[in-house]
Amino acid sequence: MSRRMPAFTTVAATILFVWLSGCGYNDLQGLDEDTKAAWSEVVNQYQRRADLIPNLVATVKGYAAHEKDTLESVVQARAQATGIQVTPETLRDPAAFEKFQQAQAGLSSALGRLIAIAENYPNLKADQNFRDLQSQLEGTENRIAVARKRYIEKVAEYNKSVRFFPTNLTAKYLLHMEEKPNFTVADEKAVAKPPEVKF
Amino acid sequence: MGLRFSQKIWGTGPSLVLVLALIWTVASTSWALDVPPLTGRVVDLGHVLPTEVAASLTRHLESHETKTSNQVAILILPSLEGEPLEEFSHRVATTWKLGQKGTDNGVLLLVSLKDRKVRIEVGYGLEGTLTDLRSAHIIRNEIVPRFRAGDLAGGITAGTQAILGTIEGTYTAEEAPLGLGRSGQEPNAFEYVIMGVVVGTLAGILLSHGLRHARALLGSVLAFLIAQFASVGLGLAAAGVTALLLWLLLQANRGGGRHGGWGDGSTIGPGGGFGGSFGGGFSGGGGSFGGGGASGDW
Repeated sequence: MSRRMPAFTTVAATILFVWLSGCGYNDLQGLDEDTKAAWSEVVNQYQRRADLIPNLVATVKGYAAHEKDTLESVVQARAQATGIQVTPETLRDPAAFEKFQQAQAGLSSALGRLIAIAENYPNLKADQNFRDLQSQLEGTENRIAVARKRYIEKVAEYNKSVRFFPTNLTAKYLLHMEEKPNFTVADEKAVAKPPEVKF
Repeated sequence: MGLRFSQKIWGTGPSLVLVLALIWTVASTSWALDVPPLTGRVVDLGHVLPTEVAASLTRHLESHETKTSNQVAILILPSLEGEPLEEFSHRVATTWKLGQKGTDNGVLLLVSLKDRKVRIEVGYGLEGTLTDLRSAHIIRNEIVPRFRAGDLAGGITAGTQAILGTIEGTYTAEEAPLGLGRSGQEPNAFEYVIMGVVVGTLAGILLSHGLRHARALLGSVLAFLIAQFASVGLGLAAAGVTALLLWLLLQANRGGGRHGGWGDGSTIGPGGGFGGSFGGGFSGGGGSFGGGGASGDW
């Protein structure tokens, strides 16, 4: 009897290992990491946009100082957006996610208004510095769109694994993973259109 | 990686999920405008470049790639057919996989004639040198003035030269060896060893029990798995060593009654999992894009 034990143990160990990969343990962990990485990229690009704003505001001020309301609303929206701490918990908490979303959307629309008033100032529009900042802003908005798209794809993949059988069992009972909130189509429309820049 | 291995053994559950996911993905990604096939470094669907200009551009881009491993391609479209420029450009760049895997050093110069729009799409790895700003300057100063004067070939040539001049020296050919373009995720050495141990364990158990049927079955299973691992000797070695150790152990346990051997008819097939073909034509090296670059119109 005892002679057969090692064989039995190895078989059991092998089955356990294969079963663990079959039930999606590793894949779930991997997908979880992927969504986190994709989220970091989203935050990164939003931060990049926030970093451009002080310069942009200063440049616009030089030509259109009396557009105080618009300038102030941009500064405020930026403060609000950068004030929200983004931790991995944000990814789990739909309410915090929503708050982040709204702050960034608020900044987007404030920026949109700022770019729109620039149209009324030919000197500002011709300013080299302003054009450069606008190019950078446009590029950043585009990166945000790409980063969001990636995040949406990754979360969709992750959420599917969390819900589909049999991986849902692993997710629920072994890893205690839940679905993650995703960007909705409504706000996707708002960001899908990058700001128009005419040269 | 675990999934790929386990699917071969525990078929239907996960693979059904995968099929469903695939259908879902395909269904949700029906595009208005298809990504044109990558027929060369210069894809001129608008037929605006004289043959000798296209040929000289291709030569330039080719020698630039040999020198630096950067992959730059040019696409000239008749029209975007209502598709947003940035979205389409990103889709083309990611579909073509310009740039090497790992260094992501690809650039796409896209021109749409009817929309009078131009974009430089920059891969992750070149965003540091060919910044959004630098791309915007190239469009503004090199391309747009020539396009406005009606000189499309001149604008594209000048733009390409400016791009190549900017990204020259970011990478060298040694950093990203050519033809490394494999598709999908490759498992690392550690995973190969783990998988090797698992395969070896199975092989060892089956061998030592030495049932005739099991051997025949084992032969084919082994051939298949070995073919999978053939590209990495480490995994194979791990499988072999484990199988041998296990076999010895079990033989010793049993009192050395039976002889085991590698199953008959186990032939080593060609290694699986190679994606990129690098024969005659030009193909992307597996680079990825994060939306960097700039757009403009004329």
